[in-house]
Order: sequence, then C-alpha cells, then structure tokens
Amino acid sequence: MTEILSSQVVSGLATGCVYALIALGFVLIFKATDVVNFAQGEFVMVSGFISYTLLIGLGIHYGLVLLATIVLSGVMGVVLERVVVRPIMDAPIFSIVIATIGASIVLRSSAGILYGYDVLPLPTIFSKDPIRVGFVQFTAMDAGVIGFSLVIMVALYLFFKLTRTGTAMRATAQSQTAARLMGVSVTRIFSLTWAISAAIGGVAGVLIAPIIYLDPNLGFIGVKAFAGAILGGFGSIPGAIVGGMLLGVIENLSGYFFNAGIKQVSTYILLILVLVIRPAGLFGAAPIRKV
Amino acid sequence: MAWRRRLGGVTLAVIGVLLLLLPGAADNYVLYVMTRLFVYVLVALGLNLLTGYAGQVSLGHAAFFAIGAYTAAVLAERWHWPAPLCLLAAALFTALVGYLLGLPCLRLSGLYLAMATLGFTLIVQEMLLQLAVLTHGSEGMKVAPASVLGLSINTDVRKYYLLLVVTAAMLAFARNLVRGRLGRAFLAIRDNERAAAAMGVNLAQYKTIAFALSALYTGLAGALSAFIVGFLDPQEFSFFLSIQFITIVILGGVASLLGSVLGACFLIFLPELLAGLDVWQALVYGLIMVVTILFMPFGLSGALRRYAFRWFGMGAEPIIPRRLGH
Repeated sequence: MTEILSSQVVSGLATGCVYALIALGFVLIFKATDVVNFAQGEFVMVSGFISYTLLIGLGIHYGLVLLATIVLSGVMGVVLERVVVRPIMDAPIFSIVIATIGASIVLRSSAGILYGYDVLPLPTIFSKDPIRVGFVQFTAMDAGVIGFSLVIMVALYLFFKLTRTGTAMRATAQSQTAARLMGVSVTRIFSLTWAISAAIGGVAGVLIAPIIYLDPNLGFIGVKAFAGAILGGFGSIPGAIVGGMLLGVIENLSGYFFNAGIKQVSTYILLILVLVIRPAGLFGAAPIRKV
Repeated sequence: MAWRRRLGGVTLAVIGVLLLLLPGAADNYVLYVMTRLFVYVLVALGLNLLTGYAGQVSLGHAAFFAIGAYTAAVLAERWHWPAPLCLLAAALFTALVGYLLGLPCLRLSGLYLAMATLGFTLIVQEMLLQLAVLTHGSEGMKVAPASVLGLSINTDVRKYYLLLVVTAAMLAFARNLVRGRLGRAFLAIRDNERAAAAMGVNLAQYKTIAFALSALYTGLAGALSAFIVGFLDPQEFSFFLSIQFITIVILGGVASLLGSVLGACFLIFLPELLAGLDVWQALVYGLIMVVTILFMPFGLSGALRRYAFRWFGMGAEPIIPRRLGH
C-alpha cells in the first residue's frame, strides 16, 4: 500500500517538475513583459519534435541533441516575440493573448502537416526499471526528470541572483521605466526573457515527451502548467514551482483513488477551492489596487 | 453632413432586408452556416457584456453553452415540455448558474478569474459524462426538432428565420442594456472598481448581474443550437469552445456589439472559405488570425471605427483600455 502510494507520489512529482518548468516559462514572460503567452505549451511540443528529428532522423548523440534543442527552442522564442508580440506591445493585453493563441494554432498545424497526428516514440536516456530506496519505489526516469528539473531551477536562480544580466532582468520586471533609466535595454531583456522561457519549455519537452506521448497536441500540457502557475500565484517564481509540483502529485494521487474522469477534473476543483480562499494563489501577493 | 448620420441606419436596414430575403437566393448549406453564425453572435453578445463591458474575463462560456443545450434537451426528452418553454427554462436556468458562479468569482479578477472559469468548463464537461442518467454520457443525446406555435422547425429555412428573429431581438435588447444604467455601471466597474463603488455602483450586485445576463444569452444560444443541430456530443463543449468564444469577442472588438457580430462572422465564415485547403486549413486560419490582430489590435470594430473617423470624420476615435479588469 505505502509502496504503491509512494511510487505514485514520486512519479507525480516527476510530471509536476515538468509542469513547474513550463509554468516558470509562463511566469518569467508575464513578470518581464505583462504578456500571458498561450503558445508556451507549443514550445514544449515543437522542441519534442526537434529532438525527435535530431535523434531518430540524424542519429546525433543525446547530449548534443539536448543542447541543440535548447538553443533552437530559444531562437523560436525570440522569433515569436519579434514577429507576433513586439509589434502590438501597446495593444490591450488580451489582444496579445489572442495573437499568441493564433501563433499556437500555426505551430500546432505546422507540426501536424510535417509529422502527422500519430503518436511518435521519443527515446530517453533514463531507464524505466524500478529502483527501491527503503520503502519508496520509483523509476530511474522519475529520478532523472526530477533531478534535471531541479538543476535547471537552481541554475536559473543563480543566474537571476548573481549575474549582471539577471539583475537587469529582475529590474525590468520591477519597473520598466526605472530599468530603462538605469541603462538597461528593455527590448533586449524582452528578447532574452522569451529565449529563456522557450528554452525551459524545450527542456520540458525533451523530459515529458518520453513519459506521455509526442504528437502535435502535446502543447495542451500548457493548460495544466498554466493551472499550476495560477495555483501557486501567477507572477511568483516559487509559486510556479510549488504549484506545478503540487498539481502533478494531486493529479496522480486522485488518479489512484478515483477513476480517470475524476483524475482530470480533481485538480480544477481543488484549484477553484484554493482561489476562493486565496484569490491570488498560494504565493501570490494580493494585487495592489491603484485608484 | 446628414448622410453621415443616416449611414448607420440605412446600412442596418439594407442588411436587414438582405437577411430576410436570403432564403430565396441561398442553398440549404449557406442557410445552415448562417444559422450557426446567429448562435455564435448570441454567445458573443453575452460574453461581450461580461468581458468587454464589465471587464470580467470568462473562459467558462462553453459550460454555459452546454448547460443551456442540455437543459433544453433533457426537458424536451424527459418531460416533453413544449420547445418555447424549454428555451425559456434553459436560458433562465443558465442565468441562475451564471449568478451562482458569479458569487465565488467576486473575489477573483484577471487571469485568476480566467483560470477559475476555465476550470468550471472542464468540470461541467466531465459532469455531462458522469450524469449519464440524464445526459446519456459519452453516447451523446438526440434532440427532436422544436415546434413553435404548432409549426415544426424542421427545415433549414424555418431554423434560419427562428434564429434571425431571436438574434435580432436579443441584439436590440443588448443595445438597450449597454446604453442604459446597467451598461454604464458595467463600464465604470471595468475602468476603475473603486471609482465605480464611490459613485454608488454596487460592485457585487452588478458583477453577479453581469454573470447572470451573460449566462442567459449563452444558455439561450446553447438551447437553440441543440434544437437546430439535433444532436449533443459532450466532446464539443470543451475548453476549445471557450477559447473560440473569447477569440470572437477580442478579434471582433471588446465593448462593441458590432464587434461581436463581426467577430462571429470571422470565426464562422473563415473556416468555410478555407475549407478547400485541406490540411493547410488550420495553418492558414491561424496565420490570418495573427495578421488580423497585428494590424487591428483593437479588433475589427475598433479598426472600423478608427478608419471611419480618420477617413470620413464619422464618430470619434475609439479609446480602448489596455487592461481588462484589474
């Protein structure tokens, strides 16, 4: 009983880590540019296909593929920002959201045209054999996904805390005007933010595609990650991480205790309850109402 | 410059006459597409009241649409209610659900509200599957054609006229609403809640009214759509539908009834026009959507009003707030 339960928690945590990575992408872009990027899930999907092509089509080494996927995904983020978002930065926020929804339709249908709608197997370096530590049972894949995600998160934290560019990015998130006055090129920071968010989405794609599936609809994982970001408090980086992980674990556990239909909605029922009690999510600060 | 002032009225009259005469000239498929257009216009009107005017973003309208459709279908199938009563009951019941959903949503705004209502859509869709006793679950549900005043609405022409009449009436109703006390209160809440409250607008009351009204329109549209299509498939009421609805409102233009109509035309006609493109259809559709927003960030009606002012000096340059809600 505890064995099954604990393995459910660990595998939920693995999916949750991937949700957390995608949620981080949402939050980074939102903090820096006030834009909610509904094409975030598409970064995950496209990078899955990129790594599939490099691995299976060209037979490149896994480590190189991972690196190339991250870079290409980042480039995609920059291009998306330049072409779709920057021209309408002055428009109402929801127009920008609709533009990113349009972009996600384009990306999804392009992937459908190129690769078809059948599920493709994406190889992984982690094995799916069970490992036992004490009474906790998990697979190497779960451990690998969790470990890799944590490394990315720590690296990001250090980047924001210690580097000059990271400080400039935090400054831009606080106040674009003040950052500009201090000599920060805000437009460059915008590009960089989109690049980083898309690159994290790329990592998430390489990690999650072998666990669930790889097809053009993989991008809908973005909806769950968005729910995770909201649960944690949209605009809070720790919130995105905790919210994403929590969502993964709850989803897995409710799948264990209830049927598959309930599994799908249990997270949303919980989410609504949390929002009614804490309208700005778990870690979100109550919004300051300007008169 | 009298012609400028009369232009709007004349255009409306011409379009009205053309719509009345259309069944004489068009084939059944065109009429069917037009009927679907009217359904979407109704939803867009309702959603625009809530999102465009009152500033409350909702991704829960697929759920309202489903509730309206299933209420009408269940009443007609189980208790053999006459169709007009089914429509009325479905609209009122959906309004009640909207009111009740509005209560917990009072504390939420912006993205959090969008997510909570999105959750509502997913929960309702699952309930349609679980409550199989009433809804027949994943098998879907057949709906017999409506009959109004002894006349069975079973041909495309009759369906077209039923929807035309209802949509025109609801459009006129919405126009009166937004120009009156209620519409002004909604706009005041959207632009600044505190200022609105200071002016004596009861925030809780008006926000829940906005939810109820919006749900009423959407529930009515759902019920009408159930009778027209004749079959309900729970898969249709997914969050995609909610995204489509909000796309109509934003692409058409927020806080604009004309925008709701134009947005619905965009979303219904464009896929029909692109139908020959086969696999490329979704790609071209997405591209057109992005390009439209890039060139008309204030929506179709915003662009129309802007150029009507710049080129012909009609109306005023539209001012659209950057943020909806707070």
